[in-house]
Amino acid sequence: MATSISPAPAQQRPRQPSTTGSGVTFGRVLRSEWIKVTTVPSTVILIASTVVVMVGLAALFAWSLTIMAQSINDPSVPAEFQAPTEGPGSAAFQALTTPSSGLVFGQLLIASLAVVLIASEWATGMIRSTMVAVPKRTPALLAKAVIVAVVAFLVGFASAFLSYLIAQLILQSENLDFALTEDGVFASVINTGTFLALVAVISMSIGILLRNTAGGVVTAVGIFFVLPIIVQLISGLADWIPDAARFLPADAGTQMVAVTTADEALTQWEGGLVMGAWALVLLVVALITAKKRDV
Amino acid sequence: MIEAQALSKRYGAKAAVDAVSFTVHPGKVTGFLGPNGAGKSTTMRMIVGLDLPSGGRVTVNGRPYAQHRAPLREVGALLDAKAVHTKRSAYNHLRAMAATHGIPNSRVKEVIELTGLGPVAKKRVGGFSLGMGQRLGIAAALLGDPHTVILDEPVNGLDPEGVQWVRHLARGLASEGRTVFLSSHLMSEMALTADHLIVIGRGRIIADAPIQSIIDGQGRARVRVRADRPQDLLGSLAGEGVTSQVLEPELIEITGVDARRIAEVALRERVLVYELTPLQVSLEDAYMQLTQTEVEYHSHDLPAVGQTTAPVEGR
Repeated sequence: MATSISPAPAQQRPRQPSTTGSGVTFGRVLRSEWIKVTTVPSTVILIASTVVVMVGLAALFAWSLTIMAQSINDPSVPAEFQAPTEGPGSAAFQALTTPSSGLVFGQLLIASLAVVLIASEWATGMIRSTMVAVPKRTPALLAKAVIVAVVAFLVGFASAFLSYLIAQLILQSENLDFALTEDGVFASVINTGTFLALVAVISMSIGILLRNTAGGVVTAVGIFFVLPIIVQLISGLADWIPDAARFLPADAGTQMVAVTTADEALTQWEGGLVMGAWALVLLVVALITAKKRDV
Repeated sequence: MIEAQALSKRYGAKAAVDAVSFTVHPGKVTGFLGPNGAGKSTTMRMIVGLDLPSGGRVTVNGRPYAQHRAPLREVGALLDAKAVHTKRSAYNHLRAMAATHGIPNSRVKEVIELTGLGPVAKKRVGGFSLGMGQRLGIAAALLGDPHTVILDEPVNGLDPEGVQWVRHLARGLASEGRTVFLSSHLMSEMALTADHLIVIGRGRIIADAPIQSIIDGQGRARVRVRADRPQDLLGSLAGEGVTSQVLEPELIEITGVDARRIAEVALRERVLVYELTPLQVSLEDAYMQLTQTEVEYHSHDLPAVGQTTAPVEGR
C-alpha cells in the first residue's frame, strides 16, 4: 500500500526570521477589531436601531410633557391631578432630561451588543483565530473593549443630541424648549455617551467571563434593569439597602446623566466615578481570567 | 522548527498529552499520526498557545509562540476549520486577521486565489461546506507567509482534488525550506505526504522516525509462499513463532520469519517452493501494530465471516 513515498526535498532554502515592522501593534489590533465590528451585518443593524429607539423614546417623552403642560392650563382638570408648575416635578424641569430619556432601553441594547460582540467569538469559534493572531490575548480583548466603548459613546452622544433637537421641535408648542447651554444640559448629553460606553465595557467583561451569549445578555440585563427594581422592592427591609444601592451600576449611572442631583444622592461626578470603577474592576478581572484560560 | 520538551496537558487526573518531547525540522513534511483522542490536536493547540501546558514547554523557531512579535509570520496554523464568525465573509475574515500584523490586502487576495476561494470569498462563511471551510483555514494559515505551517487534519472534508492539492501544497512548502507539521489519523495519507513521522497514542510518543524506517522496522516480515506441501513447511516452522494464513491449497502467507529462513527449511524438508515473495508491510499495518496497545477507543470486530479463505477454484 505504501508504495509511493515522496522523495526528500531537493534543496533547502532556510528562510530568514521576519524583519521588524511586520509585527502586532495595538493600533493594528484596533484596526482588526474595527473591521470585525463593521463586517457583521447584524452588529451594524443593532447599532442603528439603538439610535432610532433612543431618539424615538425621547420624542415620545417630550410629547407626553407637552400633554402634561396642556393639562396644567386646562381648568377642567382638578387641581390635585395637576402637575406642579415648577420644581423637580414640573414639565419645564423634566423637559431638561429629554436628551438622556432614551437610555432606559438604550442601555439594554448596548449591553446586549457588547455581550454579543465578544461572546459570539466563542460561540462561532472565531476566538481561536483571534487568539492565534494575537497570542498575548490582552491586546485583542482590550482593543475590542475600546472599539465597543467608542461606538457606544458615539451612539449615546449622537442619540442624546438628536433627541435634544427633535424634542425642541415638540416642546416648542408649550414653550418648554430650552437651550443646550442651560446648566447641566450639555454635560448630560455627553454623559449619555459616557454612560453607554461604561455599560458596554461592563457588559463586554461579563461576556468574556461567561463566554456565552445568552447567559451574558441575561446577566447584563439583570444588572442594569432587574437589579434596580429588586432593590427598590426590598429597600424598606433595612436602612442600609438604599444606601448600598446608590453604588450599584444602574443607580450610579442614573446620577451620572442627571441634569441636577438631589442633596443626599451622588453627584454626576461621583456617579461617573462609581460606574467607572465597576467597569475597570470587571474589565481587569475579565482580562486576567482570559489570559489564564484555555481558549 | 518546533521543539517540545516534556510537554504535558492534564485535564483533572487524565493526561491528554503526557510529557512528550519531539522536534519538527524544517525542509520536510513531518506527519503527526495517531488515533482519535491520542493528543494530536491538544499538542498542536499548545504549540500556538491556545492551550496552556500543564508542564514542559514548546517553542517555535526558538521561542514560545506568544512571545514572537509577528506570530502569524512565524507560524501559520489550521487547527479548526470552524474558527470563523459564521456571519462574516471569507474575505473580511482574512482581512481582519491580516490587519493585526499589518499584512496588506493584496496578500489577502493572494491567499484567496491560492486556495481557490475566489468565487465564494464575498459570501458568508456560515454557508460554506466543510471543504471550503478547510480551504479558508488554510488560507488563514498562509496569510503571514510563515516559516512554520501547522495543519490539523487538513484533508478532512476535502474532495479528491482538494486532497491532492493539500498534498502538493505541503510538499511545496517543505521544499521551500519551511517546517511543515501535519496531523492525520489516516496512515495512507501520511504515506503519500510525509517524510518523517511522529506517532502518538494516548498522549505519548510511540515512534519518531523517517517514514521508511517505520515501515521497515515495525512491520514483522511477511512472506507469500507457494509450495506443493505447505502444511509440512508450516509444521517445521512451528517452533519459530510464526503465524500463517492459508489462502489457497498451495498458497500461504507466513508472518514472523524472513524469506531466507523459509527457503532453508524448505530445502531441508524437501518441499518444492515455486514462489517466495517478501511482502512490504504497509504503513497502515505498521501503524496498527504501533498503536495496538495505545488506542483509547477500541472497536470490536464483528463475528468473523470467512476468516480462513475457502479454496478458490483452480487458476
